[in-house]
Amino acid sequence: MASIVAFCWFAASSIAAVIEGAPLDSLGMLVAATAASVVARALTQAALDGLAARGAARVKSQLRRRAIEAIDRGGSASLGSRSSASLATVIGPGLDAMDGYVGLYLPQLILTAVATPIVVGVLLLADPATGIAVMVTLPLIPVFMVLIGWATQAMQRSQWEALQSLSQGFLEVVRGLSTLTIFGRQHRQTTRIEAVTDAYRTRTMKVLRVSFLSSFALELAASLSVAVVAVSVGVRLIDGAIPFALGLFVLILTPEAYLPLRLVGARYHAAADGIAASDDVLDLIATGADARLARAAPPAPETPRDGEAYDVALALRGVTVERAGRAVVSGLDASWRHGSVVAITGPSGTGKSTLVAAILGFVPAGGRVLLAGRAVPADERLTRIAWAGQTPELTSGSLEEVVTLGSEHPDPALVARALALAGTLDVPLTTVLGPAGQGLSGGQAQRVAIARAVYRALERDLGTIVLDEPTSALDAEAEERVVRGLRTLAGEGRLVVVVTHRPALVAAADVVLDLGSASARARLEARGPEVVAR
Amino acid sequence: MTRVDIRPVLRAAQPPLGALAPALALGALAAGSSVALLATSAWLIARAAEQPPILFLGFAIVGVRAFAIGRAVLRYLERVAGHDAALRALAGLRVSVFRRLVPVAPDGLRATRSGDVLTTVVQDVDALQDLPLRVVQPLVSAAIVAGLAVVGVAWVSPQAALVLAIGLAVTAAAATAVLAALSRDAERRISPLRADLADAVLEYVSRWETLRAFGADGERREALLALDARLRRAQSRQSAAAGAVAALVTLGGGAMLIATLLAVQPELASGALSGPELAMLVLLPLAVIEVVGALPSAVGAWWRVRTSAERIATVVPEHVPAEIPLAPEHPRALPPIGQPGASSLRLAGVAAHWPGDARPALAPLDLELHPGDRVVLEGPSGAGKTTLAHVLVRFLEHEGRYELGGVDVRELHPDEVRRRVVLLEQHPHLFDESIRQNLIFARDTASEDELLAVLERVGLGEWAVERGGLDAPVGERGRLVSGGQAQRIALARALLCDAPVLVLDEPTANVDADRSEALLEELLGAAAGPERAVLVISHAPVPDRLVTRRVRIRPAR
Repeated sequence: MASIVAFCWFAASSIAAVIEGAPLDSLGMLVAATAASVVARALTQAALDGLAARGAARVKSQLRRRAIEAIDRGGSASLGSRSSASLATVIGPGLDAMDGYVGLYLPQLILTAVATPIVVGVLLLADPATGIAVMVTLPLIPVFMVLIGWATQAMQRSQWEALQSLSQGFLEVVRGLSTLTIFGRQHRQTTRIEAVTDAYRTRTMKVLRVSFLSSFALELAASLSVAVVAVSVGVRLIDGAIPFALGLFVLILTPEAYLPLRLVGARYHAAADGIAASDDVLDLIATGADARLARAAPPAPETPRDGEAYDVALALRGVTVERAGRAVVSGLDASWRHGSVVAITGPSGTGKSTLVAAILGFVPAGGRVLLAGRAVPADERLTRIAWAGQTPELTSGSLEEVVTLGSEHPDPALVARALALAGTLDVPLTTVLGPAGQGLSGGQAQRVAIARAVYRALERDLGTIVLDEPTSALDAEAEERVVRGLRTLAGEGRLVVVVTHRPALVAAADVVLDLGSASARARLEARGPEVVAR
Repeated sequence: MTRVDIRPVLRAAQPPLGALAPALALGALAAGSSVALLATSAWLIARAAEQPPILFLGFAIVGVRAFAIGRAVLRYLERVAGHDAALRALAGLRVSVFRRLVPVAPDGLRATRSGDVLTTVVQDVDALQDLPLRVVQPLVSAAIVAGLAVVGVAWVSPQAALVLAIGLAVTAAAATAVLAALSRDAERRISPLRADLADAVLEYVSRWETLRAFGADGERREALLALDARLRRAQSRQSAAAGAVAALVTLGGGAMLIATLLAVQPELASGALSGPELAMLVLLPLAVIEVVGALPSAVGAWWRVRTSAERIATVVPEHVPAEIPLAPEHPRALPPIGQPGASSLRLAGVAAHWPGDARPALAPLDLELHPGDRVVLEGPSGAGKTTLAHVLVRFLEHEGRYELGGVDVRELHPDEVRRRVVLLEQHPHLFDESIRQNLIFARDTASEDELLAVLERVGLGEWAVERGGLDAPVGERGRLVSGGQAQRIALARALLCDAPVLVLDEPTANVDADRSEALLEELLGAAAGPERAVLVISHAPVPDRLVTRRVRIRPAR
């Protein structure tokens, strides 16, 4: 700051001295001082910029970390209402939009708060008339900005939402391009994208026209002030009221009083996106916190029951799951032994997947879930049960990396065994999967997902394996291989629970739980809590 | 990254010069006003110090005010004009990227990473807006203003002009050199890191349940945050470079001020230059350097634009791979639907392979399909059943002969083929919209009743009512519907489209066994008739009574 004032002073003095006819050699000190102040100013500037940017990067990383932690806490609750693409946009590029806000805007705002009073103070001391003129005009600028800002805030917000829906819309179109092509709708999308982007342009321009007004007001105030100062100083110079050097000094310094504020204005646009983006991220973080509260609802007290058969791997006691206020599963009792294959079956919508989610602890459920006779809290069940969901949900990496997901010391021998048990002999071991596990056919992906669950069961010696529709995409031969694998696993003393509608798999099961048949519950009740292996 | 031709992408991003001219002219005028404002003010004060009658200053006073207002007004107009031109170009760019996608999709895009498409669309296309806005415009206006300033100064004092020209050139060169040394490398690393981070975030978010179930969420989170840290370091380095350049510009301005003062002092002493002129000449560089200060950021923007353009050009190939059918130059027309033989399909020795994979995916196959046929195609997974489906709808090019209505399909427009042959995909795409929106595009003239009727036909009538009707959301990739229901929506879509040939690729994969037969029956029942042929691809057994013929294929390798 001081370097700016010093530079203006020494530069003005040097010029005045020269014009007033001082010989060059008498200027040495002044010129040297000017040069020194320039260097000092340059160094300060570089240091400030660097610090600000580093701070911005740190804030961004922190927000990213917290957003991810929010997803961890919120889980599928935070995914339910948002698409993964929009979440990924918020956490990825969305946060990058904050660069402008945290990296440029905020530091400049702080700098302005510090620098402007100093410059105004110096001006007041040097030339009270100019100082007062600047003091009067400066506060007008923020007032204008706030007024215009109010008018544009809502528009900025809608622009960010438009950007988001646009980003999603485009990805949707790209993802669904083959479906669209089948119905001959791919060309119409071109028109749609054109129309949407043009609408986006129109909307953005509407916002920009207004938001540029704030910086217009700023620029106008700043440059008019310079003009006013120049004219007033000029008039007073004619009267000889102030010395020439002082007049020149005031002229050079006046723009510096407005510069920080002008930069704030200039950076405000870059910041606007960031403000909207930060809102989104903060929303997400808040959602995560809410979800945590929801999850932390007191679990039903679970106590082991006396006389529970020792060989029961998984027991359900009055398990009830509600979805949207409706009981999907109610009061279900079952006991399944080690060494058996259990098939849960029934038409769509009868709660097969919901029951699995309750067993695994994904959804809050009433009643108790006992593993090997012991009540296990919902969030610990996944350490005791190996699981493969309805969709393969593979990750990226080599086949071995994919299969050994979550393993700290991958064991190639176990990988081979797991793959064999899942009947994946037609998938080359050298396969490398793309992001989100792309690159395999539906049937191959399904068996790799089974292998992943089997590997986990083998490595950690888990007593229970739960597979949701493991053979839905397989042909009869491949299904037969999977069935053999599952029977082998059961033969080793594990409990294998499959949700399925495939007759071959149902036929291979020791116990069948049919959620669809109206009499299912009655039958279960009639046979008591123990559904024994046949 | 292999060298790709980025010129088509850049051309699409760059508005025509005519569209950009207003913004360029306004930008140059605005910057010129800013320079003129300082020069006139300096002259005014220096002249006033000589205490002339105030009348002599009238012209300068008017000039100062005019330039002050002009600067703000012109700047505003320039920004509006520039952004408008850039956004107009964006619409064209988006469409041109999509147009490149259309002929290649879906099978020419297999190597495309979904995360990359996301980045390409959201970031790269947006980044390309900077080409007119932050590269071309500032560079051209800066060049105009710098040139005019040098010429104007030369008119008053050649020495000062020389100092100004050299000072501008040296500052600009030094700034560019600093950027090239410090920032270019960081910039190169930032883009791939951003893409990797976007991929990692997408995988983490979309696979969250699985990662957690396998206890791999912590490890993935750490990996993701490590990526973020690397990105942060690269960005810090880049901004350090930006700070250094800003400092350089300040230094350059100061140095030019001192150098000009020293250079023109002898002229003042000799009387060739008046005091006010000297004040003007000496202060002018401070205003001109502000214009040059825009140069480095333009260079940075150019690197970003180029990287983005390269990525777009790579992700979306300009030239359609040989395995993807193209529309012939003069497509033939098919005889109208309903004419005998117009919708018969005949394959003779048809084989196929996927782009980038020379191994055959489908062994030579002969097949005839006539209206009224209901054929089931069986075979183990990997035998090429889906490949055949893609060949039938011309997603994939084939060897051998494939005739539709007696015409070689290579002579037909692929869209024309798809009007006759409709594929129900194994993984049909459900749009993140309402049930209605997910059906209507198959036949946009379908009435409310027809939509409800078709839902009823695939066994979703009750479900649709329960959910709240046709306007209930489907959810992203069917997140809010179960696997079986999602398949049925897709089935309903295929049924709505009244094509003479239906190819069903595993329609019952996610439908309950006890309903799959009924569904096949409904579907085949709906399709049955003298005018329609149905090919069902299935790994699950299809009862004999539902089909008229069975075809079995064997793996090609």
